[in-house]
Amino acid sequence: MTTQLSGSCAIVGMGRSISLKSDAERKTPLQLVVDAASQAMREAGITRKQVGALLTGRMPRTYCSLQYNQAVLNELKITPMISTEVTSHGAGALGTIELAVVLLQARVIDYALCVCGEASPLWIEMVEGSANWEADLQFEAPYGATTPALYAQVAQRYMHDYNIRPEQCARVAVENRLWALDHPQAAMRKKGKISVDDVLSSRMVASPLRMLDCAAWFPGGIGSAAVITRADLVPESPSKPSWILGFGQSSTHEWIGERFALRGAGPTENGPNITNLGVGEAARQAYAMSGLRPADVGIVETSAPFTFANLMVLEELGFCGKGEGGDFVEGGGINYDGGLPFNTTGGYLSFGQSGQGLYLLKEVLEQIHGEPEGRPVPGVKVGLVHGHGGPLACHSVMLVGGERP
Amino acid sequence: MTEETTIDWSTGMRLMAGDMFLGLYQPSPETTGYWDGVRRHEFLLKHCLRCDGCHHPRRILCPDCNEAVSAWKPAKGTGKLHSYSEVHRATGVFAKSTPYTVGIVELDEGVPLFARIFGEPGIDVPVEVDFRVLEQGALLPVFVVKTAP
Repeated sequence: MTTQLSGSCAIVGMGRSISLKSDAERKTPLQLVVDAASQAMREAGITRKQVGALLTGRMPRTYCSLQYNQAVLNELKITPMISTEVTSHGAGALGTIELAVVLLQARVIDYALCVCGEASPLWIEMVEGSANWEADLQFEAPYGATTPALYAQVAQRYMHDYNIRPEQCARVAVENRLWALDHPQAAMRKKGKISVDDVLSSRMVASPLRMLDCAAWFPGGIGSAAVITRADLVPESPSKPSWILGFGQSSTHEWIGERFALRGAGPTENGPNITNLGVGEAARQAYAMSGLRPADVGIVETSAPFTFANLMVLEELGFCGKGEGGDFVEGGGINYDGGLPFNTTGGYLSFGQSGQGLYLLKEVLEQIHGEPEGRPVPGVKVGLVHGHGGPLACHSVMLVGGERP
Repeated sequence: MTEETTIDWSTGMRLMAGDMFLGLYQPSPETTGYWDGVRRHEFLLKHCLRCDGCHHPRRILCPDCNEAVSAWKPAKGTGKLHSYSEVHRATGVFAKSTPYTVGIVELDEGVPLFARIFGEPGIDVPVEVDFRVLEQGALLPVFVVKTAP
Protein backbone atom coordinates (compact mmCIF):
# COMPACT_ATOMS: atom_id res chain seq x y z
CA MET A 1 0.00 0.00 0.00
CA THR A 2 0.95 3.63 -0.41
CA THR A 3 2.18 4.12 3.11
CA GLN A 4 4.07 7.17 1.85
CA LEU A 5 0.73 8.97 2.00
CA SER A 6 0.38 8.35 5.72
CA GLY A 7 1.13 11.53 7.61
CA SER A 8 2.11 13.32 4.41
CA CYS A 9 -0.59 15.95 4.78
CA ALA A 10 -2.38 17.79 7.54
CA ILE A 11 -5.59 19.65 8.12
CA VAL A 12 -4.49 23.18 9.04
CA GLY A 13 -7.84 24.89 9.17
CA MET A 14 -11.45 23.91 9.73
CA GLY A 15 -14.70 25.76 9.73
CA ARG A 16 -18.27 24.91 10.50
CA SER A 17 -21.41 26.95 10.12
CA ILE A 18 -24.80 25.97 11.49
CA SER A 19 -28.25 27.33 10.82
CA LEU A 20 -31.18 26.04 12.85
CA LYS A 21 -34.88 25.84 12.11
CA SER A 22 -35.41 27.95 15.19
CA ASP A 23 -33.22 30.77 13.86
CA ALA A 24 -34.97 33.92 12.67
CA GLU A 25 -33.21 33.71 9.31
CA ARG A 26 -32.74 30.40 7.50
CA LYS A 27 -29.46 30.05 5.70
CA THR A 28 -28.97 28.35 2.35
CA PRO A 29 -26.43 25.55 1.88
CA LEU A 30 -24.31 27.97 -0.16
CA GLN A 31 -24.31 30.53 2.64
CA LEU A 32 -23.31 27.86 5.15
CA VAL A 33 -20.47 26.35 3.15
CA VAL A 34 -19.10 29.74 2.16
CA ASP A 35 -19.09 30.78 5.81
CA ALA A 36 -17.36 27.52 6.78
CA ALA A 37 -14.82 27.90 3.95
CA SER A 38 -13.93 31.43 5.02
CA GLN A 39 -13.42 30.24 8.63
CA ALA A 40 -11.17 27.39 7.45
CA MET A 41 -9.07 29.67 5.23
CA ARG A 42 -8.71 32.19 8.05
CA GLU A 43 -7.59 29.50 10.50
CA ALA A 44 -5.15 28.10 7.94
CA GLY A 45 -3.83 31.59 7.24
CA ILE A 46 -4.17 31.30 3.46
CA THR A 47 -5.55 33.75 0.94
CA ARG A 48 -7.97 32.94 -1.86
CA LYS A 49 -5.04 33.06 -4.29
CA GLN A 50 -3.45 30.06 -2.61
CA VAL A 51 -6.31 27.60 -3.02
CA GLY A 52 -4.98 25.04 -5.50
CA ALA A 53 -7.96 22.74 -5.40
CA LEU A 54 -11.58 23.22 -4.46
CA LEU A 55 -13.13 19.86 -3.64
CA THR A 56 -16.78 19.98 -2.74
CA GLY A 57 -19.18 17.31 -1.69
CA ARG A 58 -22.26 16.57 -3.69
CA MET A 59 -24.82 19.13 -4.71
CA PRO A 60 -27.16 19.85 -1.79
CA ARG A 61 -30.78 18.93 -2.36
CA THR A 62 -31.74 22.50 -1.60
CA TYR A 63 -29.17 24.08 -3.91
CA CYS A 64 -29.61 22.04 -7.08
CA SER A 65 -26.97 23.07 -9.57
CA LEU A 66 -25.26 21.09 -12.29
CA GLN A 67 -21.88 22.45 -11.16
CA TYR A 68 -22.32 23.10 -7.47
CA ASN A 69 -18.55 23.33 -6.96
CA GLN A 70 -18.46 26.18 -9.47
CA ALA A 71 -21.16 28.04 -7.56
CA VAL A 72 -18.97 27.77 -4.45
CA LEU A 73 -15.90 28.85 -6.41
CA ASN A 74 -17.85 31.74 -7.89
CA GLU A 75 -18.83 32.99 -4.46
CA LEU A 76 -15.34 32.61 -2.93
CA LYS A 77 -13.73 34.25 -5.99
CA ILE A 78 -10.98 31.67 -6.09
CA THR A 79 -9.25 30.31 -9.19
CA PRO A 80 -8.05 26.81 -8.32
CA MET A 81 -6.22 24.52 -10.71
CA ILE A 82 -8.70 21.78 -9.84
CA SER A 83 -12.35 22.27 -9.00
CA THR A 84 -14.60 19.27 -8.71
CA GLU A 85 -17.24 17.51 -6.70
CA VAL A 86 -16.38 14.31 -4.88
CA THR A 87 -19.68 12.59 -4.75
CA SER A 88 -19.87 9.11 -3.32
CA HIS A 89 -22.98 10.25 -1.46
CA GLY A 90 -22.17 11.01 2.19
CA ALA A 91 -18.86 9.20 1.91
CA GLY A 92 -17.76 11.90 -0.50
CA ALA A 93 -17.20 14.30 2.39
CA LEU A 94 -14.14 12.38 3.56
CA GLY A 95 -13.49 11.64 -0.11
CA THR A 96 -12.72 15.33 -0.66
CA ILE A 97 -9.91 15.09 1.88
CA GLU A 98 -8.62 11.82 0.45
CA LEU A 99 -8.38 13.32 -3.02
CA ALA A 100 -6.75 16.41 -1.53
CA VAL A 101 -3.98 14.28 -0.01
CA VAL A 102 -3.32 12.56 -3.33
CA LEU A 103 -3.12 15.90 -5.16
CA LEU A 104 -0.91 17.45 -2.49
CA GLN A 105 1.44 14.52 -2.32
CA ALA A 106 1.72 14.59 -6.13
CA ARG A 107 2.82 18.22 -5.63
CA VAL A 108 0.44 19.59 -8.23
CA ILE A 109 -1.09 21.87 -5.58
CA ASP A 110 -0.08 23.27 -2.18
CA TYR A 111 -3.44 23.90 -0.55
CA ALA A 112 -6.77 22.16 -0.98
CA LEU A 113 -10.07 23.55 0.24
CA CYS A 114 -12.65 20.85 0.99
CA VAL A 115 -16.22 22.02 1.42
CA CYS A 116 -19.40 20.07 2.22
CA GLY A 117 -22.83 20.96 3.43
CA GLU A 118 -26.56 20.49 3.48
CA ALA A 119 -29.45 22.55 4.77
CA SER A 120 -32.42 20.59 3.48
CA PRO A 121 -34.39 20.40 6.74
CA LEU A 122 -34.55 24.21 6.70
CA TRP A 123 -36.16 24.35 3.29
CA ILE A 124 -38.04 21.16 2.50
CA GLU A 125 -40.03 18.34 4.08
CA MET A 126 -37.43 15.62 4.52
CA VAL A 127 -39.45 12.46 5.11
CA GLU A 128 -41.39 12.52 1.88
CA GLY A 129 -38.59 13.51 -0.43
CA SER A 130 -35.65 11.50 0.82
CA ALA A 131 -36.79 8.14 -0.55
CA ASN A 132 -37.08 9.66 -4.00
CA TRP A 133 -33.31 10.05 -4.00
CA GLU A 134 -32.52 6.80 -2.17
CA ALA A 135 -34.83 4.53 -4.14
CA ASP A 136 -34.77 3.66 -7.81
CA LEU A 137 -37.80 5.61 -9.05
CA GLN A 138 -38.53 3.02 -11.73
CA PHE A 139 -37.91 -0.26 -9.90
CA GLU A 140 -38.21 0.49 -6.18
CA ALA A 141 -40.22 3.63 -5.45
CA PRO A 142 -43.46 2.42 -7.15
CA TYR A 143 -43.64 -0.32 -4.50
CA GLY A 144 -43.69 2.19 -1.65
CA ALA A 145 -40.02 1.93 -0.76
CA THR A 146 -39.42 4.35 2.08
CA THR A 147 -35.85 5.18 3.09
CA PRO A 148 -36.04 3.09 6.29
CA ALA A 149 -37.56 0.20 4.29
CA LEU A 150 -34.54 0.23 1.97
CA TYR A 151 -32.08 0.01 4.86
CA ALA A 152 -34.35 -2.50 6.60
CA GLN A 153 -33.61 -4.99 3.81
CA VAL A 154 -30.04 -5.19 5.06
CA ALA A 155 -31.15 -5.10 8.70
CA GLN A 156 -33.56 -8.01 8.32
CA ARG A 157 -31.05 -10.24 6.54
CA TYR A 158 -28.16 -9.26 8.82
CA MET A 159 -30.13 -9.90 12.00
CA HIS A 160 -31.34 -13.23 10.61
CA ASP A 161 -27.97 -14.47 9.38
CA TYR A 162 -26.01 -13.44 12.46
CA ASN A 163 -28.69 -13.92 15.09
CA ILE A 164 -28.65 -10.27 16.13
CA ARG A 165 -31.44 -9.34 18.54
CA PRO A 166 -33.37 -6.04 18.50
CA GLU A 167 -32.32 -5.29 22.08
CA GLN A 168 -28.69 -5.50 21.01
CA CYS A 169 -29.30 -2.97 18.25
CA ALA A 170 -31.15 -0.78 20.74
CA ARG A 171 -28.04 -0.47 22.89
CA VAL A 172 -26.50 1.72 20.21
CA ALA A 173 -29.36 4.21 20.50
CA VAL A 174 -29.14 4.16 24.30
CA GLU A 175 -25.39 4.87 24.44
CA ASN A 176 -25.47 7.42 21.60
CA ARG A 177 -28.17 9.36 23.44
CA LEU A 178 -25.98 9.69 26.55
CA TRP A 179 -23.28 11.40 24.48
CA ALA A 180 -25.86 13.69 22.86
CA LEU A 181 -27.02 14.94 26.26
CA ASP A 182 -23.53 16.45 26.70
CA HIS A 183 -23.27 17.98 23.23
CA PRO A 184 -24.51 21.55 22.78
CA GLN A 185 -25.42 21.04 19.11
CA ALA A 186 -27.09 17.62 19.32
CA ALA A 187 -30.68 17.40 18.13
CA MET A 188 -31.64 15.25 21.13
CA ARG A 189 -29.62 17.10 23.79
CA LYS A 190 -32.74 18.07 25.72
CA LYS A 191 -34.68 14.85 25.20
CA GLY A 192 -33.23 12.93 28.15
CA LYS A 193 -31.94 9.41 28.45
CA ILE A 194 -33.60 6.49 26.72
CA SER A 195 -33.64 2.82 27.68
CA VAL A 196 -33.53 -0.35 25.63
CA ASP A 197 -37.23 -0.75 26.42
CA ASP A 198 -37.91 2.75 25.08
CA VAL A 199 -36.33 1.75 21.78
CA LEU A 200 -38.16 -1.59 21.63
CA SER A 201 -41.51 0.04 22.39
CA SER A 202 -41.08 2.95 20.00
CA ARG A 203 -43.30 3.00 16.93
CA MET A 204 -42.47 0.50 14.19
CA VAL A 205 -41.33 2.38 11.09
CA ALA A 206 -40.20 -0.37 8.71
CA SER A 207 -39.59 -3.74 10.33
CA PRO A 208 -37.29 -4.47 12.03
CA LEU A 209 -36.57 -0.76 12.43
CA ARG A 210 -38.44 1.22 15.06
CA MET A 211 -38.48 4.98 15.45
CA LEU A 212 -35.58 5.04 17.91
CA ASP A 213 -33.53 2.73 15.66
CA CYS A 214 -33.55 5.50 13.05
CA ALA A 215 -31.43 8.61 12.63
CA ALA A 216 -33.00 11.88 13.65
CA TRP A 217 -32.92 14.76 11.20
CA PHE A 218 -30.60 17.49 12.35
CA PRO A 219 -32.97 20.43 12.89
CA GLY A 220 -31.18 22.67 10.45
CA GLY A 221 -28.21 22.80 8.12
CA ILE A 222 -24.47 22.42 8.56
CA GLY A 223 -21.70 23.61 6.30
CA SER A 224 -18.20 22.39 6.99
CA ALA A 225 -14.83 23.03 5.41
CA ALA A 226 -11.21 22.07 5.80
CA VAL A 227 -7.92 23.34 4.41
CA ILE A 228 -5.33 20.64 3.77
CA THR A 229 -1.68 21.08 3.01
CA ARG A 230 1.51 19.06 2.69
CA ALA A 231 3.75 18.30 5.67
CA ASP A 232 6.54 20.58 4.41
CA LEU A 233 4.15 23.54 4.41
CA VAL A 234 2.78 22.94 7.90
CA PRO A 235 4.22 25.51 10.30
CA GLU A 236 5.77 24.13 13.49
CA SER A 237 3.93 26.68 15.60
CA PRO A 238 1.61 28.01 16.77
CA SER A 239 -0.94 26.01 14.76
CA LYS A 240 -2.56 22.76 15.83
CA PRO A 241 -2.51 20.71 12.67
CA SER A 242 -4.23 17.36 12.45
CA TRP A 243 -2.45 14.65 10.53
CA ILE A 244 -4.10 12.36 8.03
CA LEU A 245 -2.68 8.96 8.84
CA GLY A 246 -4.69 6.69 6.62
CA PHE A 247 -7.80 6.46 4.50
CA GLY A 248 -9.79 4.08 2.38
CA GLN A 249 -13.00 3.99 0.46
CA SER A 250 -15.34 1.44 -1.09
CA SER A 251 -18.52 1.83 -3.11
CA THR A 252 -20.73 -1.04 -4.21
CA HIS A 253 -24.04 0.09 -5.70
CA GLU A 254 -26.53 2.86 -6.22
CA TRP A 255 -29.77 1.02 -5.42
CA ILE A 256 -30.06 -1.47 -2.59
CA GLY A 257 -32.38 -3.72 -4.61
CA GLU A 258 -29.53 -4.36 -7.00
CA ARG A 259 -26.80 -4.83 -4.40
CA PHE A 260 -27.38 -8.58 -4.50
CA ALA A 261 -26.53 -8.55 -8.22
CA LEU A 262 -22.93 -7.60 -7.38
CA ARG A 263 -20.83 -10.73 -7.66
CA GLY A 264 -17.15 -11.47 -7.40
CA ALA A 265 -15.97 -7.98 -6.55
CA GLY A 266 -15.14 -6.14 -3.35
CA PRO A 267 -17.26 -7.29 -0.40
CA THR A 268 -18.99 -9.90 -2.60
CA GLU A 269 -15.75 -11.61 -3.62
CA ASN A 270 -16.99 -14.79 -1.97
CA GLY A 271 -20.51 -14.64 -3.35
CA PRO A 272 -23.43 -12.24 -3.56
CA ASN A 273 -24.68 -10.84 -0.27
CA ILE A 274 -26.11 -7.66 1.16
CA THR A 275 -24.51 -8.01 4.59
CA ASN A 276 -20.83 -7.40 3.88
CA LEU A 277 -20.62 -3.66 3.53
CA GLY A 278 -17.71 -1.82 1.96
CA VAL A 279 -16.67 -0.60 5.42
CA GLY A 280 -14.32 -3.55 5.81
CA GLU A 281 -12.62 -2.82 2.49
CA ALA A 282 -12.24 0.86 3.33
CA ALA A 283 -10.93 0.05 6.81
CA ARG A 284 -8.39 -2.45 5.50
CA GLN A 285 -7.04 0.21 3.14
CA ALA A 286 -6.87 2.81 5.92
CA TYR A 287 -5.19 0.50 8.42
CA ALA A 288 -2.69 -0.68 5.82
CA MET A 289 -1.83 2.87 4.78
CA SER A 290 -1.32 3.99 8.36
CA GLY A 291 0.16 0.86 9.91
CA LEU A 292 -2.43 1.28 12.66
CA ARG A 293 -4.79 -1.30 14.15
CA PRO A 294 -8.22 -0.96 15.76
CA ALA A 295 -6.53 -1.15 19.18
CA ASP A 296 -4.69 2.09 18.37
CA VAL A 297 -7.93 4.00 17.84
CA GLY A 298 -9.19 6.07 20.76
CA ILE A 299 -12.39 7.53 19.32
CA VAL A 300 -14.78 6.53 16.51
CA GLU A 301 -17.46 8.55 14.74
CA THR A 302 -19.73 7.05 12.11
CA SER A 303 -22.54 8.41 10.00
CA ALA A 304 -24.36 5.06 10.10
CA PRO A 305 -28.01 6.14 10.20
CA PHE A 306 -29.65 3.15 11.90
CA THR A 307 -28.82 1.15 15.03
CA PHE A 308 -28.09 -2.14 13.23
CA ALA A 309 -25.79 -0.39 10.76
CA ASN A 310 -23.68 0.84 13.68
CA LEU A 311 -23.16 -2.78 14.73
CA MET A 312 -22.12 -3.72 11.20
CA VAL A 313 -19.72 -0.77 11.09
CA LEU A 314 -18.13 -1.71 14.43
CA GLU A 315 -17.63 -5.24 13.11
CA GLU A 316 -16.15 -4.22 9.78
CA LEU A 317 -13.88 -1.63 11.39
CA GLY A 318 -12.42 -4.53 13.35
CA PHE A 319 -13.58 -3.70 16.87
CA CYS A 320 -15.20 -7.13 16.99
CA GLY A 321 -15.67 -10.05 14.62
CA LYS A 322 -18.27 -10.32 11.86
CA GLY A 323 -21.65 -10.98 13.42
CA GLU A 324 -20.35 -10.17 16.91
CA GLY A 325 -21.53 -6.55 16.98
CA GLY A 326 -24.57 -7.38 19.09
CA ASP A 327 -22.55 -9.19 21.73
CA PHE A 328 -19.91 -6.44 21.60
CA VAL A 329 -22.29 -3.61 22.47
CA GLU A 330 -24.25 -5.75 24.93
CA GLY A 331 -20.99 -6.53 26.71
CA GLY A 332 -20.31 -2.81 27.16
CA GLY A 333 -18.15 -2.33 24.07
CA ILE A 334 -19.45 1.17 23.37
CA ASN A 335 -20.65 2.05 26.86
CA TYR A 336 -20.72 5.77 27.57
CA ASP A 337 -18.71 4.94 30.66
CA GLY A 338 -15.77 2.71 29.98
CA GLY A 339 -16.46 1.58 26.43
CA LEU A 340 -14.93 2.65 23.14
CA PRO A 341 -15.78 6.36 22.73
CA PHE A 342 -18.24 5.92 19.88
CA ASN A 343 -20.38 8.62 18.27
CA THR A 344 -19.38 11.18 20.86
CA THR A 345 -21.61 13.84 19.31
CA GLY A 346 -24.59 11.54 19.80
CA GLY A 347 -24.17 10.10 16.32
CA TYR A 348 -26.75 10.17 13.57
CA LEU A 349 -29.29 8.72 15.98
CA SER A 350 -29.12 11.52 18.54
CA PHE A 351 -26.95 14.32 17.14
CA GLY A 352 -28.98 14.05 13.96
CA GLN A 353 -28.06 13.74 10.34
CA SER A 354 -27.38 16.69 8.12
CA GLY A 355 -26.49 15.09 4.82
CA GLN A 356 -22.95 15.35 3.73
CA GLY A 357 -20.46 16.98 6.03
CA LEU A 358 -17.11 17.06 7.73
CA TYR A 359 -18.59 17.79 11.15
CA LEU A 360 -17.85 14.29 12.46
CA LEU A 361 -14.23 14.74 11.45
CA LYS A 362 -14.26 18.10 13.22
CA GLU A 363 -15.50 16.42 16.41
CA VAL A 364 -12.62 13.93 16.30
CA LEU A 365 -10.02 16.63 15.70
CA GLU A 366 -11.38 18.75 18.53
CA GLN A 367 -11.28 15.75 20.87
CA ILE A 368 -7.69 15.00 19.85
CA HIS A 369 -6.69 18.59 20.55
CA GLY A 370 -8.59 18.66 23.84
CA GLU A 371 -11.17 21.23 22.75
CA PRO A 372 -14.42 19.32 22.27
CA GLU A 373 -17.85 20.94 22.33
CA GLY A 374 -19.32 18.09 24.34
CA ARG A 375 -17.98 15.56 26.82
CA PRO A 376 -14.18 15.32 26.54
CA VAL A 377 -12.48 12.04 25.75
CA PRO A 378 -9.07 12.42 27.38
CA GLY A 379 -5.85 11.14 25.91
CA VAL A 380 -6.98 10.45 22.34
CA LYS A 381 -3.99 10.04 20.03
CA VAL A 382 -5.71 8.55 16.98
CA GLY A 383 -9.31 8.91 15.85
CA LEU A 384 -11.34 7.17 13.18
CA VAL A 385 -14.16 8.62 11.11
CA HIS A 386 -16.47 6.51 8.98
CA GLY A 387 -18.46 8.35 6.35
CA HIS A 388 -21.42 6.52 4.86
CA GLY A 389 -23.59 7.39 1.93
CA GLY A 390 -26.30 6.02 -0.29
CA PRO A 391 -28.28 3.11 1.09
CA LEU A 392 -25.20 1.49 2.65
CA ALA A 393 -23.53 1.98 -0.72
CA CYS A 394 -20.44 4.10 -0.14
CA HIS A 395 -18.03 3.92 2.75
CA SER A 396 -15.06 6.04 3.62
CA VAL A 397 -12.73 5.48 6.55
CA MET A 398 -10.17 8.02 7.76
CA LEU A 399 -7.58 7.79 10.54
CA VAL A 400 -6.31 11.05 11.98
CA GLY A 401 -3.87 12.02 14.70
CA GLY A 402 -2.67 15.12 16.51
CA GLU A 403 1.08 14.62 16.37
CA ARG A 404 3.39 15.00 13.40
CA PRO A 405 4.29 11.41 12.46
CA MET B 1 -59.37 1.67 -14.28
CA THR B 2 -60.43 -0.29 -17.32
CA GLU B 3 -57.00 -0.75 -18.85
CA GLU B 4 -53.88 -1.90 -17.04
CA THR B 5 -51.10 0.54 -17.80
CA THR B 6 -47.47 0.89 -16.84
CA ILE B 7 -45.48 4.06 -16.38
CA ASP B 8 -43.55 5.04 -19.50
CA TRP B 9 -39.94 5.52 -18.41
CA SER B 10 -38.49 5.34 -21.92
CA THR B 11 -38.20 9.06 -22.58
CA GLY B 12 -37.48 10.09 -18.99
CA MET B 13 -39.20 12.55 -16.69
CA ARG B 14 -38.85 16.27 -17.32
CA LEU B 15 -37.16 18.21 -14.53
CA MET B 16 -38.52 21.74 -14.28
CA ALA B 17 -37.67 24.87 -12.28
CA GLY B 18 -40.91 26.78 -12.51
CA ASP B 19 -41.57 26.88 -16.24
CA MET B 20 -37.89 26.50 -17.10
CA PHE B 21 -36.76 23.14 -18.39
CA LEU B 22 -33.61 21.71 -16.79
CA GLY B 23 -33.20 18.22 -18.20
CA LEU B 24 -34.46 14.68 -17.94
CA TYR B 25 -34.60 12.24 -15.07
CA GLN B 26 -33.14 8.98 -16.37
CA PRO B 27 -34.71 8.20 -19.75
CA SER B 28 -34.76 4.43 -19.93
CA PRO B 29 -35.50 3.01 -23.39
CA GLU B 30 -33.52 -0.10 -22.38
CA THR B 31 -36.32 -1.23 -20.06
CA THR B 32 -39.21 -0.80 -22.52
CA GLY B 33 -39.26 -4.53 -23.29
CA TYR B 34 -39.70 -5.32 -19.61
CA TRP B 35 -42.73 -3.08 -19.22
CA ASP B 36 -44.19 -4.30 -22.52
CA GLY B 37 -43.99 -7.79 -20.99
CA VAL B 38 -45.60 -6.64 -17.75
CA ARG B 39 -48.61 -5.34 -19.69
CA ARG B 40 -48.99 -8.82 -21.24
CA HIS B 41 -48.53 -10.36 -17.75
CA GLU B 42 -45.25 -11.84 -18.94
CA PHE B 43 -42.21 -11.67 -16.68
CA LEU B 44 -39.04 -11.05 -18.67
CA LEU B 45 -35.40 -10.54 -17.76
CA LYS B 46 -32.49 -9.14 -19.70
CA HIS B 47 -30.67 -11.96 -21.43
CA CYS B 48 -27.03 -12.14 -22.45
CA LEU B 49 -26.85 -14.10 -25.71
CA ARG B 50 -23.17 -14.78 -25.15
CA CYS B 51 -23.20 -16.44 -21.71
CA ASP B 52 -26.95 -17.21 -21.55
CA GLY B 53 -27.07 -15.39 -18.20
CA CYS B 54 -30.08 -13.39 -17.06
CA HIS B 55 -29.87 -9.91 -15.63
CA HIS B 56 -31.91 -7.17 -13.98
CA PRO B 57 -34.16 -5.38 -16.50
CA ARG B 58 -32.02 -2.27 -16.08
CA ARG B 59 -28.79 -3.98 -17.29
CA ILE B 60 -27.12 -2.41 -20.28
CA LEU B 61 -23.96 -4.48 -20.02
CA CYS B 62 -23.40 -8.10 -19.03
CA PRO B 63 -20.74 -7.75 -16.32
CA ASP B 64 -19.57 -11.31 -16.90
CA CYS B 65 -19.00 -10.93 -20.66
CA ASN B 66 -18.50 -7.17 -20.89
CA GLU B 67 -21.05 -7.31 -23.72
CA ALA B 68 -24.09 -5.17 -24.34
CA VAL B 69 -27.35 -6.89 -23.40
CA SER B 70 -30.61 -5.98 -25.08
CA ALA B 71 -32.45 -9.30 -25.51
CA TRP B 72 -35.31 -10.41 -23.28
CA LYS B 73 -36.01 -13.91 -22.01
CA PRO B 74 -39.11 -15.18 -20.22
CA ALA B 75 -38.18 -15.91 -16.60
CA LYS B 76 -39.73 -18.57 -14.40
CA GLY B 77 -41.18 -15.91 -12.13
CA THR B 78 -40.20 -17.86 -9.04
CA GLY B 79 -37.54 -17.31 -6.43
CA LYS B 80 -37.00 -16.82 -2.73
CA LEU B 81 -37.27 -13.80 -0.53
CA HIS B 82 -33.75 -12.65 0.26
CA SER B 83 -34.95 -9.96 2.63
CA TYR B 84 -38.00 -7.84 3.39
CA SER B 85 -39.48 -5.12 5.52
CA GLU B 86 -43.00 -4.44 6.66
CA VAL B 87 -43.58 -0.74 6.11
CA HIS B 88 -45.59 0.94 8.86
CA ARG B 89 -44.95 4.54 8.02
CA ALA B 90 -45.20 5.89 4.50
CA THR B 91 -46.11 9.11 2.75
CA GLY B 92 -48.17 10.14 -0.26
CA VAL B 93 -50.31 7.53 -1.97
CA PHE B 94 -48.71 4.76 0.08
CA ALA B 95 -49.72 6.14 3.49
CA LYS B 96 -53.15 4.53 3.41
CA SER B 97 -51.78 1.08 2.51
CA THR B 98 -49.61 0.54 5.57
CA PRO B 99 -48.65 -1.96 6.73
CA TYR B 100 -47.40 -3.49 3.50
CA THR B 101 -44.28 -5.46 2.73
CA VAL B 102 -41.45 -4.68 0.32
CA GLY B 103 -38.57 -7.04 -0.24
CA ILE B 104 -35.70 -8.19 -2.39
CA VAL B 105 -36.51 -11.35 -4.32
CA GLU B 106 -33.70 -13.61 -5.42
CA LEU B 107 -35.11 -15.01 -8.64
CA ASP B 108 -34.29 -18.59 -9.67
CA GLU B 109 -32.23 -17.07 -12.50
CA GLY B 110 -29.97 -15.51 -9.83
CA VAL B 111 -31.27 -11.99 -10.44
CA PRO B 112 -32.41 -9.82 -7.53
CA LEU B 113 -35.55 -7.73 -7.88
CA PHE B 114 -37.08 -5.28 -5.44
CA ALA B 115 -40.86 -5.66 -5.23
CA ARG B 116 -44.04 -5.56 -3.18
CA ILE B 117 -44.53 -8.81 -1.33
CA PHE B 118 -47.92 -10.34 -0.54
CA GLY B 119 -48.44 -13.10 2.01
CA GLU B 120 -46.51 -13.96 5.15
CA PRO B 121 -42.89 -12.95 4.56
CA GLY B 122 -39.82 -14.73 5.88
CA ILE B 123 -36.17 -15.01 4.98
CA ASP B 124 -35.71 -17.35 2.00
CA VAL B 125 -39.41 -18.27 1.72
CA PRO B 126 -40.43 -19.24 -1.84
CA VAL B 127 -42.29 -16.59 -3.83
CA GLU B 128 -43.83 -16.33 -7.28
CA VAL B 129 -44.65 -13.43 -9.51
CA ASP B 130 -48.07 -11.90 -9.98
CA PHE B 131 -49.18 -8.71 -11.68
CA ARG B 132 -51.17 -6.14 -9.78
CA VAL B 133 -52.09 -2.47 -9.97
CA LEU B 134 -50.58 -0.72 -6.94
CA GLU B 135 -51.18 2.67 -5.32
CA GLN B 136 -49.76 4.79 -8.13
CA GLY B 137 -52.31 3.27 -10.50
CA ALA B 138 -49.73 1.41 -12.57
CA LEU B 139 -49.48 -2.30 -13.22
CA LEU B 140 -46.41 -3.84 -11.57
CA PRO B 141 -44.93 -7.28 -11.10
CA VAL B 142 -45.28 -8.24 -7.44
CA PHE B 143 -44.40 -11.42 -5.57
CA VAL B 144 -46.66 -13.66 -3.56
CA VAL B 145 -45.36 -15.98 -0.87
CA LYS B 146 -46.09 -19.57 -1.86
CA THR B 147 -48.07 -21.46 0.73
CA ALA B 148 -47.19 -25.06 1.53
CA PRO B 149 -49.05 -27.50 -0.74
